[in-house]
Amino acid sequence: MRMTKRAGGVVLAAFCWMATAAWTANEAETPRGLPSGVDHAASSPQWETIRAKLFQDRRIDTASGKVQLTVPLRAPFGAAVPVKITSGLPQAPGLYVRRMYIVIDKNPSALAAVLDLTPEVGQADFETRLRVDEYGHIRVISELSNGELHMASRYVKVSGGCTQPPNRDQLHNIGKTVFRLPEGVRMEAPTPAEVQVIHPNDTGFELNQITVMYIPPHFVRSIKVSYADRKVFEADVDFSISENPSFRFNFVPHGAGELRAEVEDSKEQRFTGRLAVLP
Amino acid sequence: MRAMPSILSACAGLLLACAVPALAEGIPPAYSPVVILPSGDPARTEFDLTAVADRAKRENRRLYVYLGAKDCAYCRKYESFLEQNAKELVPQFSGHNYIVVDLRSALSVTQDRLFIRVGDSSRSYVDFQKAIGDARARMLVYPLVWLFDGNLKPLMQMPAGTGTFQSVPEQLEILQLVE
Repeated sequence: MRMTKRAGGVVLAAFCWMATAAWTANEAETPRGLPSGVDHAASSPQWETIRAKLFQDRRIDTASGKVQLTVPLRAPFGAAVPVKITSGLPQAPGLYVRRMYIVIDKNPSALAAVLDLTPEVGQADFETRLRVDEYGHIRVISELSNGELHMASRYVKVSGGCTQPPNRDQLHNIGKTVFRLPEGVRMEAPTPAEVQVIHPNDTGFELNQITVMYIPPHFVRSIKVSYADRKVFEADVDFSISENPSFRFNFVPHGAGELRAEVEDSKEQRFTGRLAVLP
Repeated sequence: MRAMPSILSACAGLLLACAVPALAEGIPPAYSPVVILPSGDPARTEFDLTAVADRAKRENRRLYVYLGAKDCAYCRKYESFLEQNAKELVPQFSGHNYIVVDLRSALSVTQDRLFIRVGDSSRSYVDFQKAIGDARARMLVYPLVWLFDGNLKPLMQMPAGTGTFQSVPEQLEILQLVE
């Protein structure tokens, strides 16, 4: 899957750029130049391109409620738009969310993340923060283990998320990967957890205000989370995830074990985070 | 020859007039803003919201608190937008029961130098934002707008800056608390 995303990334970016050029000419605009297409469920040329590349002509259900997306219309900062994904079905071995795709239609890299999930998640709810470069849609597409596709989308009014210089205040801690269990441990039940990687997640579009040079891209490519050596989820990500990438997720502890995250970035640096979980 | 200095001075005056457009600083008077000037020294610039909060509570109204800077181009743009659309927007501000408050700062007043006073409590920008649960605590960006009820409880999480509501329909979304 990772190869698929990497290989597809350049092609998708090129398609998106072309689609954006066409859309700019056709898009209905208000007199002040702001887009008027603010229907949360609307499509866009970029989405049509991405959809064709990722899902071909497969049916995508947009009204099932099996996946929901919570995003503010206007986030405080475009570089850290909080996103909450809620699944409408439990993560049971018989039927579960196998994969989630997070798409930001108008970002330079529109496919922000692909999450590969197992039933060990217990409940496929996720929270993260995204960079959003301009007004447009954020989408999440859930692929169930029976092959069904379900989508939720939200139109957001933020911009500049890919060009805002990061804080870069913790470069000495780069790669430090930390787990938290904000609500404690619930044995044999979905237990909320957070994993965060200290990393600037530089997009390559940020200008260093002092040197007036672009900061080279350097971002986390993958986060693989396991518990007691059993895969929980793997996230294939890029710079559309905010600085210090983080995911809030669930896992089901069956006994004492270790939460473990294997992280790799675009310079092929590898980092590990661990947390011992006791009943 | 004697006329030369006055001609030069007239030309210079004309050039200056062209170079510096006459932009008033702050929220346009049409919005009847309550202007609050800071107190304290440059290292501790404090705005006191006590009186406007008391008034909002007494009159059961909301507060549209604008923090602008005298040397901030984006502030001038937003103020100019308000000026140009005052005919449409002023009735909307009053219709949605807002008292407009204009805090007049400067770009040199960074987040560590800005303090907000309410009653006996004076908090730094970051502490004030954290206390009200505003995600903009991480960075002060001018201009900044807060929407409060009479108890200074935020009505909605606002974005940094004003760029995402500088059209009449979008300003109305803000006044109507569309999230």
